[in-house]
Amino acid sequence: MSEYTLDCLGEICPVPLIKTQKKLAALNKNDILIVSIDHSCAMKNIPEWARKEGHNVEIEEINDGEWEIYIEK
Amino acid sequence: MDNTSLYAKLLKNPWSYTTGAIILGMANITMLSITGSAWGVTTPFSYWGAWFYQILGGQPDTWFYFSQKTHAAAITAGFWNNGHSVSNIGIIFGAFLATLLASQFKIKKIKSKKQIFGAILGGLLMGYGARIAFGCNIGALFSGTASMSLHGWVFMLFIFIGAIIGSKLLTKYFI
Repeated sequence: MSEYTLDCLGEICPVPLIKTQKKLAALNKNDILIVSIDHSCAMKNIPEWARKEGHNVEIEEINDGEWEIYIEK
Repeated sequence: MDNTSLYAKLLKNPWSYTTGAIILGMANITMLSITGSAWGVTTPFSYWGAWFYQILGGQPDTWFYFSQKTHAAAITAGFWNNGHSVSNIGIIFGAFLATLLASQFKIKKIKSKKQIFGAILGGLLMGYGARIAFGCNIGALFSGTASMSLHGWVFMLFIFIGAIIGSKLLTKYFI
């Protein structure tokens, strides 16, 4: 397994979600994707989608209005 | 932070769509009963533009749009007598307060020139569309359907078509 990052800072919905979906599709099973976001609705729709797909998801608040979403494929 | 505390539940975590819908509905009922007109957002923006143009020495009151009865009256009455102008300011301050209370305030960087181009073009299209459709998704859709007016439902159908085309363009040019 390896770790990948995706910088979605400064991008608004639905761009972070679509980028995450595309990036995750290219990864292998058990790989970790860390998505950086600063748009609060992406904090809702990315984990919702990833959990529905059956992935493990964790959200960490990095700073005021800034989050990292950890998704395990 | 504890995610189940009252603070987190009320001020930090997003509310459900159902909670939001009920609160918006109650707010619109209150607004209608107090001011006599249902909630709208974009018509005041055209007044803001007219008042700004007046400051620069222009005469927007001679234009066809602003010479219509309700618009002419609103332009003459001024900002503080226009309920929806004041509620727009309330929305901006309320949203600002909400992000501060959730400690989620952040000035975001502009990532690419495409975002600037998209924002300006999108703003112009939405502004133009809201004028020829007699309102935006608040005045035409939200208040329109609540008033049992057919135009709200027609607006909803076409906003779906617009959103489908828009998302195709978005995935083509922004992803």
